[in-house]
Amino acid sequence: MKVSLNWLKKYVDIDVPCEELCERMTTQGFEVEGIEKSSVMDNVVVAKILEIEKHPDSDHLQICQLDIGGGVREQIVTGADNVFVGATIPAALHDSHLPNGMHIKKGKLRGVVSNGMMCSGEELCLQGTDFPGADVYGILILDSKWEAGTDMNTVIGADDCVIDFSVTSNRPDCNCVLGIAREVAVCLNKEFRAPKADYTVKKDASAKVNVTVEDFDLCPRYVGATVENIRIAPSPKWLCDCLLSAGMRPINNIVDITNFVMLETGQPMHAFDVRDISNQQIIVRRAKENEELTTLDGKEHKLNSEMLVIADASRAVGIAGIMGGENSEVKDDTPAIFFESAKFRRDSVRKTARALGIATEASSRFEKGIDAFGCRFALDRALSLIDELNAGDVTSWSPDVFEELCESKTIVAPLKRIEELLGITVPTDIIITILTNLGIEVKCENDVLTCVIPSRRDDIEGVADIAEEIIRVYGYDHIESRPLSGVLTRGTKSKQHLMSDKIKELMVSCGANEIATYSFISQKAYDLLGISSDNTVKLINPLGEDYSIMRTQLFSSMLSVMALNENRGALDMRLFEISKIFLPKQMPVTEQPEERKVLAVGLMGKKEDFFTLKAVVETIFAYFGIKATYAKSEEVFMHPGRQAVITAGNSVLGYLGEIHPDVANKFGIVGRPLIAQIDLVNLFAIASSKVLYSALPKYPAIERDLAVLVDVSQPIGPMLDAIKSAGGALVKDVKLFDVYKSDSLGENKMSVAFSITMLNPERTLKAEEAQKVFDKIVRSLEYRFGASLRG
Amino acid sequence: MLEKLNGVKARFEERLQNLNSIADLEDVRVAFCGKKGELTELLRSMGSLSPEDRPKMGQKVNELRNLIEEAIANKREELNSAQRLEQLKNEVIDVTIPAEPEVKGTLHPLSLTQERMCEIFRSMGFDVVDGPEVETDYYNFKALNLPDDHPARDMQDTFYIAEKLLLRTQTSAAQIRTMKTRSVPIRVVCPGRVYRADEVDATHSPVFHQLEGLVVDKGINLCHLKYVLEEFAKEMYGNSAKVKFRPSYFPFTEPSVEVDLTCSECGGKGCRVCKGTGWIEILGAGLVHPNVLRECGIDPEVYSGFAFGIGIDRITTTSYKIPDLRLVFENDVRFLKQFK
Repeated sequence: MKVSLNWLKKYVDIDVPCEELCERMTTQGFEVEGIEKSSVMDNVVVAKILEIEKHPDSDHLQICQLDIGGGVREQIVTGADNVFVGATIPAALHDSHLPNGMHIKKGKLRGVVSNGMMCSGEELCLQGTDFPGADVYGILILDSKWEAGTDMNTVIGADDCVIDFSVTSNRPDCNCVLGIAREVAVCLNKEFRAPKADYTVKKDASAKVNVTVEDFDLCPRYVGATVENIRIAPSPKWLCDCLLSAGMRPINNIVDITNFVMLETGQPMHAFDVRDISNQQIIVRRAKENEELTTLDGKEHKLNSEMLVIADASRAVGIAGIMGGENSEVKDDTPAIFFESAKFRRDSVRKTARALGIATEASSRFEKGIDAFGCRFALDRALSLIDELNAGDVTSWSPDVFEELCESKTIVAPLKRIEELLGITVPTDIIITILTNLGIEVKCENDVLTCVIPSRRDDIEGVADIAEEIIRVYGYDHIESRPLSGVLTRGTKSKQHLMSDKIKELMVSCGANEIATYSFISQKAYDLLGISSDNTVKLINPLGEDYSIMRTQLFSSMLSVMALNENRGALDMRLFEISKIFLPKQMPVTEQPEERKVLAVGLMGKKEDFFTLKAVVETIFAYFGIKATYAKSEEVFMHPGRQAVITAGNSVLGYLGEIHPDVANKFGIVGRPLIAQIDLVNLFAIASSKVLYSALPKYPAIERDLAVLVDVSQPIGPMLDAIKSAGGALVKDVKLFDVYKSDSLGENKMSVAFSITMLNPERTLKAEEAQKVFDKIVRSLEYRFGASLRG
Repeated sequence: MLEKLNGVKARFEERLQNLNSIADLEDVRVAFCGKKGELTELLRSMGSLSPEDRPKMGQKVNELRNLIEEAIANKREELNSAQRLEQLKNEVIDVTIPAEPEVKGTLHPLSLTQERMCEIFRSMGFDVVDGPEVETDYYNFKALNLPDDHPARDMQDTFYIAEKLLLRTQTSAAQIRTMKTRSVPIRVVCPGRVYRADEVDATHSPVFHQLEGLVVDKGINLCHLKYVLEEFAKEMYGNSAKVKFRPSYFPFTEPSVEVDLTCSECGGKGCRVCKGTGWIEILGAGLVHPNVLRECGIDPEVYSGFAFGIGIDRITTTSYKIPDLRLVFENDVRFLKQFK
């Protein structure tokens, strides 16, 4: 809300500098977003001529001694001859700037010091029509009422500043000059002077416009008035200045009055040409489906039955709260007008304005909410201005239509409760002053306040609101800092949260950098992966196609990050992300989807392959005591021969593998990305990280190497399992240490070598016993995998 | 015999004199003390001596043996230390050659900040809880005292999934879930992702992060809120950090305040970051609105509470002096690796 300081001064005396006012209003809840000063010069002040003497070396220069205020004298040399002792003149002091851009500095004129310049009307860019005496040739002689030292901006009326207050959405009553003025009055503890709203009825209306409200749900109150013998003319300067300070262009007295009243009271007003209201009937109703209306700005609109219109007997003449119709606008020859001052429901106005793509000063005020009780005052104020400006004859016709207006609210607020909420005691007399200044009628009996709330403050609903009103004016700096008391509680974190933290720690120890990507991705991401996005949660109103689908996988985000980094020259990378995926419970989506936390790990570089990725994944499983099984999988976006599904017991833990080179290329990646995605919900369900000590072996272990020949197609994982199960309890550990493929081994054969550690915890294991176990293992491998012992 | 003995001694001394390696010394030891060594032979030949000569001779031979063994041991030590000295001399390295540190990964700056914040509040007895990101209209708006016609519910600000389903615009949604499922006293923080339809720029992102805090108990007031936030600020920014309340408006708190923190850049003197004010706006807070308490079945006449919502992204960018929020979501590894 932009408000001119001079305009505010019509309703409240402001005796502090603009900056101080801004600071104090901010601490009261009205943050200042900007200050525009209208000053046109600086360091130019009113001065009185004390002495004049002739310049010793010039016949036209005069040396003047000036009183520039604050008991300071300055010497200025002038060439003008209209100066005289006692004259009040504008003096541009050393280092001053004039409106015409001149920069004045001290200097010497023919050897005599001159600490500035006396100014002519022309030098101050003034014209005789705006400022009496400005056209006179020579120095501008000012009215002697001006005190020495007064800023010349003040003298010429350029001392205004426009303050842009940020008004929170609970205070629609402050989207107007009066609202801000009331707050300023409270802030400075000054009296608030309401503008006059009385007028003289000149005649009875010859055109009695009847008002019918069909939809009170969207229009709780409609006040109107007929003004006849309209005399369209330009508005006076003071009114134009007000409009201009708010960024509005003056048009004519009638239009300007509606705009001025809106800015002043916050109540949007409209004026219809009475000639255009057929049957002299105003009907407030919902629009008919596809009803058409051309608004004042010349644009055509097709309306629907959710929109509220102002209509006459035959057609719509305005869109309620948004803009009037072209068909009924005030023209230069309009003989009579009908003023409208109404309240329309805020969400109705908002929806209609959005749907039609129109935003006006009026609609924005209705959207924020206006006071139904303010309609009458605003209309009276407009009629008073009609009178004052002699813009027409106010008639006695002024219908006021409403269904039901709630009575003013009374809130009972015990002082004790206020104190309990604030935590501090505010002296009762201060509380009463603050509330009274805010326009709240307050009585205090037995430490209980009874507050009658003005209708414009429908944001005040209870004791908490009263407490807020008190503290924001009293000052939040009074709030002390006090420790919480009561039961001592321990701050906990869920098991899932702690496990997720642990995974991050493990990933960091594996050398991976954590990334953070958006939760919504594009359709294109699914297309590139070659998977369907049919079963996904989609946004109705995304910022763009790129951010339209709640992701069901982290692969594509990971690939995009890898592509970006490869493109910027990074060749080796280890990345991870823990985030949620969103799985719909039904299509179309009607309830909250399932949100599952998943981990994505992405590796790329010369040193990375399927097994380095598997090692990273196994690091996590090992920590959580999970024995995972890997089986070939068939994800279309992964390399057909280098991917696996990870399971443990009955649950699928995720996938890992090399991304299909074609898919990688589509993402713009040249290298070979490897990605694993682990479902943390399933992982956490079976995780156990409990550590129990087991006795250290007292007896030596025996290590035996075993090399066998098998078909190259034979997966090795099951062989490791077979060795363990055949070996039984004595086998402590089995490690694969070599896989060798060569034609020399026989067609399609490979050599697989294991190192087997055997141990008996009870006693020293004998060589013969170890040999027995070894033989059993060999037999099992021969039987199950067609393996033969390599000699 | 004595002659022999002296001969052995002389030969030993000569050979000991002329050797200069451990291997030579070993040869000498074998030559004299080995199974077929000269000294061993000498001892063996003792049997041929007369019983009266034997003790005398025995003593001499023993003396010689001790002498030889001692000499060998001394020589061995001498050779060993010379060899070690030589080894150490050859093994001199240039300690100024640089070594690369072990490759460790890094956590994302948002994670680091969020974790740090959670830990601070946990130390003050707050539980860390989680809430869904896809929320119902009820939890995100209605229960938070945002009536149907509230401007903040406008499509412009909120991403919708279905009619009454949306991406949460504030972690405050978790407030309601917490109050409905837990019993008083409540002290929780809820960190997480929130979504608003803001175009991406240096300070805005449609996806961002908040940490919501909530305390409900008997007798909770604004002074308690100030204490908790002040403690947080001190822990986060150092003991000289202060907080300042400014009146504001949120539908779900009453009174509502905007909380300013001593500018971390200039310590309150005024700088470019704080636009000369010495303060930076970092969070919104207030006492939980009675309507919200009531909605959750908590009697506002008996209980009160405070809530606050801190922007994790803003804290992250200001504390690491990251000039542009876009860097945070871009994930350039050169950026990520800086956050050790």
